[in-house]
Formats: sequence, structure tokens, C-alpha cells
Amino acid sequence: MRRLWFPAAIVGLIVLIAALAPLLPLMDPVRQDVANRLAAYVPGSPMGRDEFGRDVMSRLIWGARSSLAVAFASAAIAAVIGTALGLLGGWFRGLVEVLAIRGADVVLCFPPVLLALLVVTLLGPGTGTLILVLSVLYLPGFIRVSFAEVLSARGQDFVEAVRALGARTPRILLRTVLPNIAGPVLVQVSLAVASAVVLESGLSFLGLGVVPPTPSWGLMIRGARATMEQAPMLLLWPCLALTITILAMNLLCDAVRDVADKRGGGGAPKLRLVDRLLPGLFPAPAAPQPLLDVQGLTVEIAVPGGIIRPVDDLGFRLDAGRTLAIVGESGSGKSMAATAIMGLLPPAARVAAGVARLDGEDLLRMPEDARRKLRGGAMAMVFQDPMSSLNPVHRVGDQVAEAIRAHREVPAAQASAEAVALLKRVGIADPERRARAYPHELSGGMRQRVMIAMAIANKPRLLIADEPTTALDVTVQAAILDLLAELRREEGMGLVLITHSLGVVAEVAEDVVVMYAAQVVERGPVDQVFARPLHPYTRALLAAVPDGDAEPEGIPGVVPRPDRWPPGCRFAPRCAFATAACETPPPLEEVQGQAVRCVRWRELSA
Amino acid sequence: MSEPLVVAEQVEMSFAPRGILARGRPVRAVAGVDATVARGEALGVVGESGSGKSTLGRLLLGLLAATGGAVRFDGQALPKPGSAAWRALRARMGIVFQDPFGSLDARRTIGAQVEDGLAIHTNLSAAERRAQLTEMFVRVGLDPQRLGAYPHEFSGGQRQRLGIARALATNPDFLVADEPVSALDVSIQAQVVKLLAELRRDLGLAMLFISHDLPVVRHLCDRVIVMYLGRVMEEGPVAEVFARPSHPYTRALLSATPMLDPARRLTREILPGEPPSPTNPPSGCVFRTRCRHARPECAETVPPLREFGSAAHRVACIRADEIN
Amino acid sequence: MWWLAKRIGLSLLLMWVVATIVFLALHMVPGDPAEMLLSTGGAMPDAYAIQELRERLGLNRPILEQYGAFLLGLTRGDLGTSLVDDYPVAAEIALRLPRTLELIVAGTLLAVAIALPAGTFAAVRQGGAFDRTASALAAVLQAVPVFVLGTLLILVLAQWLRWMPAGGYTPFADDPVRHLVLLSLPAIAVAKGLAATIFRMTRASVLDALSRDHVRTARAKGLTPQRVLRRHVVRNALIPVTTVLGLQMGTLLGGTVLVEYVFNWPGLSTPLLRAVEARDYPMVVGIVITVSGLFLLINLAMDLIYAALDPRITRS
Repeated sequence: MRRLWFPAAIVGLIVLIAALAPLLPLMDPVRQDVANRLAAYVPGSPMGRDEFGRDVMSRLIWGARSSLAVAFASAAIAAVIGTALGLLGGWFRGLVEVLAIRGADVVLCFPPVLLALLVVTLLGPGTGTLILVLSVLYLPGFIRVSFAEVLSARGQDFVEAVRALGARTPRILLRTVLPNIAGPVLVQVSLAVASAVVLESGLSFLGLGVVPPTPSWGLMIRGARATMEQAPMLLLWPCLALTITILAMNLLCDAVRDVADKRGGGGAPKLRLVDRLLPGLFPAPAAPQPLLDVQGLTVEIAVPGGIIRPVDDLGFRLDAGRTLAIVGESGSGKSMAATAIMGLLPPAARVAAGVARLDGEDLLRMPEDARRKLRGGAMAMVFQDPMSSLNPVHRVGDQVAEAIRAHREVPAAQASAEAVALLKRVGIADPERRARAYPHELSGGMRQRVMIAMAIANKPRLLIADEPTTALDVTVQAAILDLLAELRREEGMGLVLITHSLGVVAEVAEDVVVMYAAQVVERGPVDQVFARPLHPYTRALLAAVPDGDAEPEGIPGVVPRPDRWPPGCRFAPRCAFATAACETPPPLEEVQGQAVRCVRWRELSA
Repeated sequence: MSEPLVVAEQVEMSFAPRGILARGRPVRAVAGVDATVARGEALGVVGESGSGKSTLGRLLLGLLAATGGAVRFDGQALPKPGSAAWRALRARMGIVFQDPFGSLDARRTIGAQVEDGLAIHTNLSAAERRAQLTEMFVRVGLDPQRLGAYPHEFSGGQRQRLGIARALATNPDFLVADEPVSALDVSIQAQVVKLLAELRRDLGLAMLFISHDLPVVRHLCDRVIVMYLGRVMEEGPVAEVFARPSHPYTRALLSATPMLDPARRLTREILPGEPPSPTNPPSGCVFRTRCRHARPECAETVPPLREFGSAAHRVACIRADEIN
Repeated sequence: MWWLAKRIGLSLLLMWVVATIVFLALHMVPGDPAEMLLSTGGAMPDAYAIQELRERLGLNRPILEQYGAFLLGLTRGDLGTSLVDDYPVAAEIALRLPRTLELIVAGTLLAVAIALPAGTFAAVRQGGAFDRTASALAAVLQAVPVFVLGTLLILVLAQWLRWMPAGGYTPFADDPVRHLVLLSLPAIAVAKGLAATIFRMTRASVLDALSRDHVRTARAKGLTPQRVLRRHVVRNALIPVTTVLGLQMGTLLGGTVLVEYVFNWPGLSTPLLRAVEARDYPMVVGIVITVSGLFLLINLAMDLIYAALDPRITRS
């Protein structure tokens, strides 16, 4: 908001001064006084006199008045007509759309200054001509912006919802569509005003805009050019006024755009500065060495007002050739944990504590360059959305080949051939042809196969799959899960599968880590955990799955926000078994290969 | 007791490519579907992306005008979208969307949005509308104190409750729920499904429940239709379809659904190949290109839905008797 | 190739529409266009002069015949003759256009060469000293109108410091060094607005590309940061930049008129401004059609670049 306030104040001040010009104690801006020609200072004229002896300050202020009047008038005319046309065109489509949009396209075919000069030739220079030309020039901007916004609003569910309620078209347009396009239209208004000031001054500078003796900044610069050597200030004053006005208007445009783009977002999470975290305690790795050994992994993100911890003391072990599932609902921190292990955390997040050893080497403490060599080599990752995770502008074969050449010195032709073989390996029919396709030419399932081909290109020992099937249909999901299981078996990889689906866990994984609000609440072999869940959350989660004959039961409440975690057990506010004892943070207890974070697990499982 | 509340006969929906120079064939999203929803009944529609299930929902609501066939609501053909009769009918039908974020207007208070239906269709005073609104909020499990709040202050599950409240504000007879729980976490899903089941029972709603999640349909619906590429593959009472899936596609779909309980799992049947393009569907049975039971004769005619096992259970497969 | 044919067809269609509008503009003014063109400051032009101008412009013939002759002339490169000195408009344009083109090309190259790398670097080091300085400079440059910058450059470099001549033109063949010296200031002035826009757009677009999922994939593959930047960030970020570049060319062409005027660069703007003042309609029409055609051509070229960068355009 501070960025909006400052330029708005300057623009407001300029507008105010211009509007009040007749009331200010100024000299007559057109009264000539040849005796004081080019005088640097005359009492009552702090900025001096121009080449006809007219008062410069008065001309500056009256000049602002004519510039701004032209700019606001033309922007307002263009805004009203353009928005109406765009709104109607976008809503009714058909003929209105063709007329509005094609009309806008035609105006856009002319470079603005040229179109203005054409009209000036016909109608002669003057304020009226300027306003006409400028409104025509800015019309297309408003038509296009409002048209595009209406089209996108039309496709929104909330607009369809109002339509489904039987609202009349005017009601929909005024109550629902207009408020939602008001932001972009406002941005367009500020852009049009700023650019109209530029164009008006340019045309006046050429002597084809405002007609003398009416004061205008462009005309003042034009006049001062002849005498720039004797009286440079005469040139500098209007230049400065013009530049500052446009700069303030541009800044205001940017700020308005920023504010308008923010669609009803929630306030930034605020929290009090919590005490710094104690360094985690890392017990020595137990033999035999697991493929991946994660202990005490904690990720922190600095947010305005404090630090949140989306992953808190995560630990698990994965042996080669096995599958471990990390399961949790949105906000549990499961994806963040995976990106931390891969060293792909977003810039705002950092690993605050913990170790993640891949074959004994700590991934979290190694130099970035060493970790980069492991990424895509010994450890690889498959992401949730195969569309956005592939680069749309490169052929998929090239993207797979690139993964090969990042880690092995092979000629390009060989890498391409290997890429085709990999595509075949992951079950893509006609791999030679598909290798030359771009991502948008493939189906969702095929894209995910390409992602997998890329991940296994260098025979990784560890594969992390982050919700690899969430964006896919269930029949495609089944095929992808089968493929992952087969690859794990045949290549001897360790697989970390991150998912929110307990059904997927049950079918694919051997071990499971259940996360809730950044913490591990339960961990163990899948059969054991699902048959005999120790933590009330695991139980409730299993009961919410609609697979069985019993009615699924929801869990009351929602996962708390990361800045509002309860001080004790984080699940306690939603837990049917919570007692006073739950107000202190429960430790993670190990029992017969299972681990559970609940103070009451013993009595509850009795 | 005449005919069911909603009746669709051979309803069809083609979308033509837009623009003067646009090329390509029209997309047939729904191709000759018969469906009925009786008063108080919940009909599930399951299928994967491109099956036409959402389009079918909008056809039954009259939000889209069918390009073929007919839809009747309460014995009357649906009026033209936008007409006065059509607008009046909106009070008797409601829709709940999948996306809990996009389905609410971020710039208006939730009270105003839930109230829209009452403001459009009734002459109630502001105070009376307020009273009904409060009642509706309580019914869907929301705090009526928060009528003046904006959507971003609510969680996904609460927004879906808001969407339901908005759809039910005018006390409609028929509700289309288009994947209302797909975007929600499993612990929240169950809450919303339970709410829908309660409302259906208490208000005697007829409901079309569109979903790709078979187990949810099983708990909520009386009958189910399974769609693939714009056509119905199988339809019948949920218990029967789930116990004895008889169309090869239904079986593939059920076998692909991950199940917690190993005892419930069917032998996984992976569908070969890619789904065909809806602009150019296969001749005859649309599923034949991916069906392991396909025979040359499957390409010849579109298989009709035939009774199988019981009167209510119908399957569109010419080999249903052989393969079951 | 269907896409390309469609795109070229669209350009030709727009060219025809532009020509038609320019033709109709004369007939859309209220009252008698000849009278309109002759009237200056309210004085009533004499009847004989009006009649003569109507004859010259062919306004006495049926409108369709005029339109046909106008279009036919266009296809043959015949734009009529100047009302002032009877000189063929096409010949005047042929003499001036190369100088204007030279200025535009020099300005564009300068702007792209500076702003693209600067925008990329600013985005990669977001919030750093370079980013803050360059962003502030771009904001100021964007706010200084092109004729103000030109005038100030002359004031400082030519009048005060006397490093450069204030303007003018020498053919390249006569004195290459002086030609380039004289080109430099106008080229800088032409480049300034474009450079500021390209810088801001590149910066925003690279920042956006950096946060994309596919960049995370590229990093997950273990690519070096340089390769990620080159192949997966900059390549993708260029796509929106080309669109903006195409749209900005209209402003650039208009700005060139002002720059040429300020620096006495004898391109198209000299006859154009003279003609506007003298109400020499055929000359104005000829230049407006030429420059608009140039603009459409540039936009066509931009679309081709766009399509080459983004396979989703032509292959869907």
C-alpha cells in the first residue's frame, strides 16, 4: 500500500494544482511583456519569463491544466465506451464481439502518432481534435481488456453459479462481472491517462496539438528550443514538470496494477517471534546402512512477522528396493520435505536442522555443486503435474536426452537414441515419433511416463515421486503405479511415494509415514499400521476413506495453519480422545517397529 | 406418481469449433444418453475425464441447450436458456461445483452470494431473507455470525458448504453436484458427503452426483451410470453394479480404484493404449479400442443398453453374456 | 503451414482495411473535404481554389470510382502527387524511407542488446544492487518523453559540452564516420523507450519463468545453473517479450517522427510534418499507409518469431 500512496499523492497534488489554477494568485499566462523577454527573475515571476516575456510559472501550471484536461477527458470517454463494448461483446459474443474486437484490431494497425497526424491533417490542430484522436486510440485497450476479462469471468464457476440461479443478464453483468473486471479496467485508465499526457505533449511539441497561445508543456519546450543556449532553464522547467508527472503516473499505474491483481487474498500469516530452534540431536546411523536415512529434518520459512516450520523433525529410513509412502493431507508438509531432500527448496525456505543421508552422505550439508551431480543421477524426482513440469517449448525426447547428457559424457545422437529407448521402457508406444512431440501433444498419462523416463535416465538408486498420479484419471493412475512398482523391482531402486491417498499407500507401499501439521504422527510397516493404527489421527483418516461398507466418518475441523499450531499435540483440537495431558508436546515413541506421537496411545489401543 | 422428476431421452451435446477460420470436427461430449432421476433419488454419474459426465449434468439442469434429444423436468420440456420460464425454473434446481475457490466470487460477501437466489426469486423482505439465510447456514454447519465475511476467510470444506447453501437457498427439488468433494482432503470429503446425504434425506432432494470416485458414489447414491466417451456403458443400482460390474470398462475402472482393504481388490486390469479423441470416436462400441474382449463385430453397431441380471441393471455390451 | 497462410492472409486483409479507412477518412469529415483542407483559422477559402482542389483530389468523380482508382494506384505503388509541389509521393517516400528504417533498426538493435541481458540479470539477482539501479533507471527512462530526452541530449552534449553536432545528416557514402556520429544520438533517443519496456518485460518474464515447475524439473535433472537459465528460463521468457516488442513497435514508429524532428534527421517525418501543416493530404496518406504497412510487417515478423519460439502456436 505504501507504493500506492506515494505516487498517488504526487499525482493528486499535480491534479489539484492544475484544477485550482484559476484560483491561484498567478499572472496571466498569455500576457506578453517584451521588455522582460527571457528574464531569469522578475518580482512575481520566480521562474522568470519566456521568449515573449510571459510568466513561466503561471504557464507551467496552466499548461498542466490543458494537458491533464485532454488526458482525463479522452481516457474517460475511451473507458466508458470501450468497457461497454468489451463487456457486451464478451457476454453476448456473435456480432457485437466481431464489431468490437475487429474494430479494436483495426485501430491497433496504425502507429498512434501517425493516426493522430492523419486526423490533424483533416480537422486541423486543436484541443477537440486531440481529445477525439486520443479517445479513439485508447478505445481498443479498454475493449480488449474488458473483453478478455469478461470471457475469463464467463468461464468461472461463480459466474455460472449466478446464472444457474436464474439471474437476469443485467444483474449478472453489473453485480458479478463488472466488479471482477473493475481492477483491470482501472489499470487501463491509469495507463491511458499517462500515455495521453505523453502523446499530447509530443503533438504540441510538433506544433500540431494544443494551439498557441494556450499554454502547454509541449509548446513550451518547442518554444524554448530556439533559445536553449541563452536560457536553458526555460527548457528544463517544462521538461522536468512533464517527466515528473509521467513518472508519478507510471508508478501509480504499477501500484494500481499490483493492488488490482490481488484478488481478495488472505492477509499474510502473522505470528509472534518464536524462540529459535534447538539444534537436533543426531544419533549415529545404525548398521546396516539404509539407502536413505532422514533424521530431524526441519524446514523453516521466514514470513512477515516470524518463522513458520512446514516440516518439523521428520525422520524415516528407506532401504534399497523398498517403497515408503509419506501420506498426509494438504498442509502436512510432505511435499516440502521431499523438495528439501532433493535440495530444491524454494528460495524463501531453508533447512534449519536435520540430516538426510543418501548412502551415508549427508545431502543437506554437501556443497550445491556436489548435490547437483547427484540430482537426476543417483536420486531423481517425479512431480505431481506432468503438464507444467515439462518445458512446453522443447521436444520431450530432447528433454529426456538432456537428463542423460547432464550426467554422462555421451554424444548427442547416442543420448537421443537412449531417450527413445527410455520412452519405450516406460511403455510409450511408437517412441521414435513421440520423442519428437511437444508436451502439449501428449496425453496426461503419457506426459507422466515421460517424466518417469527422465527420472530413471541415469539409473537412480532413489526415486522420489511427489503425488505422481494425483492429476491423472484412475485407470491411468493404475498404469503409472504399476510402472513405478515394476521399475523399482527391476532396477532395485528405493521409492519414496508421496501421496494423500491411503488406498494408493495400501496397494503400493511397504512402509508408511503419516504426517500431520509438519510432524510425523505415526510410522511403520503398512500392513501393521493400517491393521492396528496407534495414533487417533491415523485411525480417523482410515475411517474417512469411503472404501469399506461402513459410512465414512469425517474429522471435525481443519488442519491448523502453520502459524497457528497448537502448543501441545497438534491434532488435539480435532481429536476425539484429547485430554489435558495433550497440552504438552508428545514425543515420538518407538514400539515394535512402529512409531507413534501420542501420549495416550497405550490406553487407546488397549 | 407419473414420470420421474428429470428425464433425459437420447440427449446429445456437440460443441462446434469456434471462429470463422476454425477447422476441425465438432466434439461430441454427450452422445445419446438416457437418464432419469426420480424425486428423492440420488443418481451417481461416474467416468473419467472426457466421459461427458459434467456436460450431462449441465444438460439436465438446462444450463446447456442439448443439440439433440430432449430433457424434461417435472413433465415439461426444458425451456430455452435465458427465457423467462427458464429463469423461473432456476429456483427449482441447484448446482454445486468442484472447485471450492473458483466457485465463489472473491469480491462479494458470502451472505450476499448465498442470498442471491432468494433475492432473484422471492419477494421476501431483507429481514425475512436474513432469517432464511441464518437457517440455511445452520443447516449446512456454518456459523451464521459470519454472513458478512468474504470467501478467502474460509477453508476448502467450508466453501463447499457455502456452495451447497447457495444452491439450496431457494429450496430446489433437484441438485446437481459436480465432483463436489474431489478437491478436498479425505478427512473433509467425508464431512461434505455426510452433509449431502443428510440434506437429501431431510429435504427430499433429487440429486445427480457426478464423480470419478467410485467408493463415494457407492455410499451416497441409489443408482449409478458409468460413462465413457459420451456414452453410458452400464447403469443400475449401486449395490448391484459394485458387486457385479458387468461391462468391461466398469470392471477396469473398479479394478483400478485403489482399495484399503486387500480383500476388496479386484485383479488389476490395465487398459492398453490411450483414450481415443472425442472428435473422432471409434465406430460401434466406443470402448472397443481398449477392450480385451473386443471382437470385429463390436465395430459395427453401437451396442444398446440391455437388461442384465435384473430389470434395473443394464449394460451396453454385446458380449455381456459371454464374458460374465 | 495452414497457420502461416492464415497469418499472412490476415496481414493482407488488415492492410486493405487500413487503406480503406485512410481513404474513407477524407470523406467522413463533416462538410466538403476540399473546403475543410483549405480552411485555415476560420478564413473562408475562395470558391475557385475549392473547385480546383476537388478536381485535383478527384472528389468530383463517383466515390466508388475514386476508391477503385485509389486501390489500383496502391497495388502499383502509385500514391499520387503532392498538393504543394506536384512531386510524386512515392518518389519522396522512396528517398526518405531508408533513412527512417536505418534509425529504427539501429534503435531496436541498441535497445534489445542492452535491455535483454540487463533484464535477465536483474531477474536472476532479484533485489540486488544491479536490479534496483536498473529498475529505477528504466522507470525514469520510461517517464522521459522521447522529445524531451532528445532535446536534453542536444542541450548537454552539443550545446554545453560540444562533444557532438546538434543534429543533421551526412550520407554514409560521403563520410561514414560522421554518418555514424550523427546517427548515434537519434538512435539512443529511439532506443530509450523500447529499452525501458523490454527491460521491465524481460525482468518480469524471467522471474515468472524461474518459478515454473519445469524449471524445478530441470534442476531435478541435475543440469548446471547456466544450462537451466539458458534452455529453460530465458528461452521460455522470450516468448512474452516478443509479443510486447511487436506491440511496442507502434509507439516506436511514432516516437521516431519526434526524434527525426528533434535531430533534423531527414527521414519520413520531414515531408510528413510539412505535409500535415500544409494540409497536403495525398502526402500524409502516402506516408501513413507506408508506415502502417511497415508496422503490420513488423508484427507479422514478430508473430513468426513467436511461433518459432513456442511450438504450441502452430502445432495444436
